[in-house]
Amino acid sequence: MASGRSTGTPQRGKGGRPPQRGKNPVAGARRRTSSAGRAAPKNRQVPWLLIGAIVVVLALIGGIGFFLFDRSAQISPWRPSSDNKDPSLAIPGIVTQSYQGQHHVTPQQRVAYDRLPPFGGPHDGYWAACNGQVYSQPVRNENMVHSLEHGAVWIAYDPTRVSGAALDTLTAKVQGQNQMMMSPYPGLDQPISLQSWGHQLKVTDANDPRIDQFITSLKGNPNGVYPEVGASCDALGPGYFDPANPPAFDPPPYPRNALPMNYQGTSGAGGMGGTG
Amino acid sequence: MTASSVSSPPEPPVVDDEFDEGDGGGWWSNSPGWAKGVLAAGVVLILLLAGGLAGAVIGQRTAPTYGPAAGSIDVGFLQDMSVHHRQAIQMAVWERSNTTDPALRQLAFDIESSQTQQLGMMQGWLQLWAQPTESAPGNYMGWMGMPVPSMPGMASEADLQRFRAATGSQLDVAFLQLMLRHHRGGLSMMQAAAAGASVPAVQALSSSMVASQTAEATTMTQLLAQRGAAPLPM
Repeated sequence: MASGRSTGTPQRGKGGRPPQRGKNPVAGARRRTSSAGRAAPKNRQVPWLLIGAIVVVLALIGGIGFFLFDRSAQISPWRPSSDNKDPSLAIPGIVTQSYQGQHHVTPQQRVAYDRLPPFGGPHDGYWAACNGQVYSQPVRNENMVHSLEHGAVWIAYDPTRVSGAALDTLTAKVQGQNQMMMSPYPGLDQPISLQSWGHQLKVTDANDPRIDQFITSLKGNPNGVYPEVGASCDALGPGYFDPANPPAFDPPPYPRNALPMNYQGTSGAGGMGGTG
Repeated sequence: MTASSVSSPPEPPVVDDEFDEGDGGGWWSNSPGWAKGVLAAGVVLILLLAGGLAGAVIGQRTAPTYGPAAGSIDVGFLQDMSVHHRQAIQMAVWERSNTTDPALRQLAFDIESSQTQQLGMMQGWLQLWAQPTESAPGNYMGWMGMPVPSMPGMASEADLQRFRAATGSQLDVAFLQLMLRHHRGGLSMMQAAAAGASVPAVQALSSSMVASQTAEATTMTQLLAQRGAAPLPM
């Protein structure tokens, strides 16, 4: 554009001196800036303002484009945000169910859970340690469900189908990570099942990318996808919950006196803001 | 524009143009019609884009994304120190619940409650800035220019199992040893943030951590000596 302008016809110019015509317009413009060139012609000036305007426009377009692209590129689509409170809902195969929190049972009671493994409902007053705990033995459902209420992601696996490298892969996602716990779950219908409060995803392969999508979407999600944001995953120890000696696994069938999922016979802990 | 308006020698205009200065053949009159059109359109575009950019900047201040960038000293410190604090809280909770020594129970409660409060501040800021609330597993201290798989002072899984298996005075000694090493290990990160953080609140928090944890480390060194035990090597 600029070159087209400077080599264009000069007929619209005015006040220019004929000797300057045909000369390099850049030289003419340059001379104009010197003190000796005050009377230099202006009809062949390079349109610096026009060029500048175009440059500024292009820079603005580029800058804004980069700003938007950069912003969208650095945020994982699975990270929860105020615009996308629960990204896990877009994971193929995810199962969700709404549960009411804060209903507790005693260490002697059992709950007739509606899912296997359970991912919500009444639970023991003591939560299982979920501060990156890798349990080598299956753990009582009622304690694990309480940890889900605190925002933990629980990886359950069928010990007959997941071992070796696959088990190492899963362990690396859990060991030492807050709000993560893992335990074997004999009788699982799929090799691997992930639970978060109200969310479940069953997969067959430890390298399935949906595992990380599930964890990124739900672990530490501050948007109320689990009942107790900020609750602890730490264990208090023997007499409460001891990760070295957790309560024994209690799979179905459930006894006749197991507490139902309609919360009849459980104690609501919410009113006093208690042990939750 | 400035250049053309200051250089206005008294030369008679050949072609009149009502928008021109009318004295020296300014850039406007010298421009062909299509260039004037492009320029006008460009000016309109600039105004629109400037408005849009201003809107975006204002929106950025109020919506989820503002504050220091990912990888900055502020964000990196808060993410790493959140992980570091969580483990201290984990050990302090266990010690507070299982020790039989009132002095140790008091110390453990002090560490647990203060670091839980600090953790809440750090998590709150990171959430306001729409940053991940903790470091990616196995990738710490990149903001200090030396990414490491594990932060100094962190107890290993074996350390934690040994600690939880201990009772009585052995539990207290294990707690003091692990927590003293934990405090000392975190010091370099707190000092780096106190010196380099850009957000005053982050600077203030990290400075206060340096002060309080240095004092606690002195206390724990004395408590270890009283029990005839030595600190762990770093």
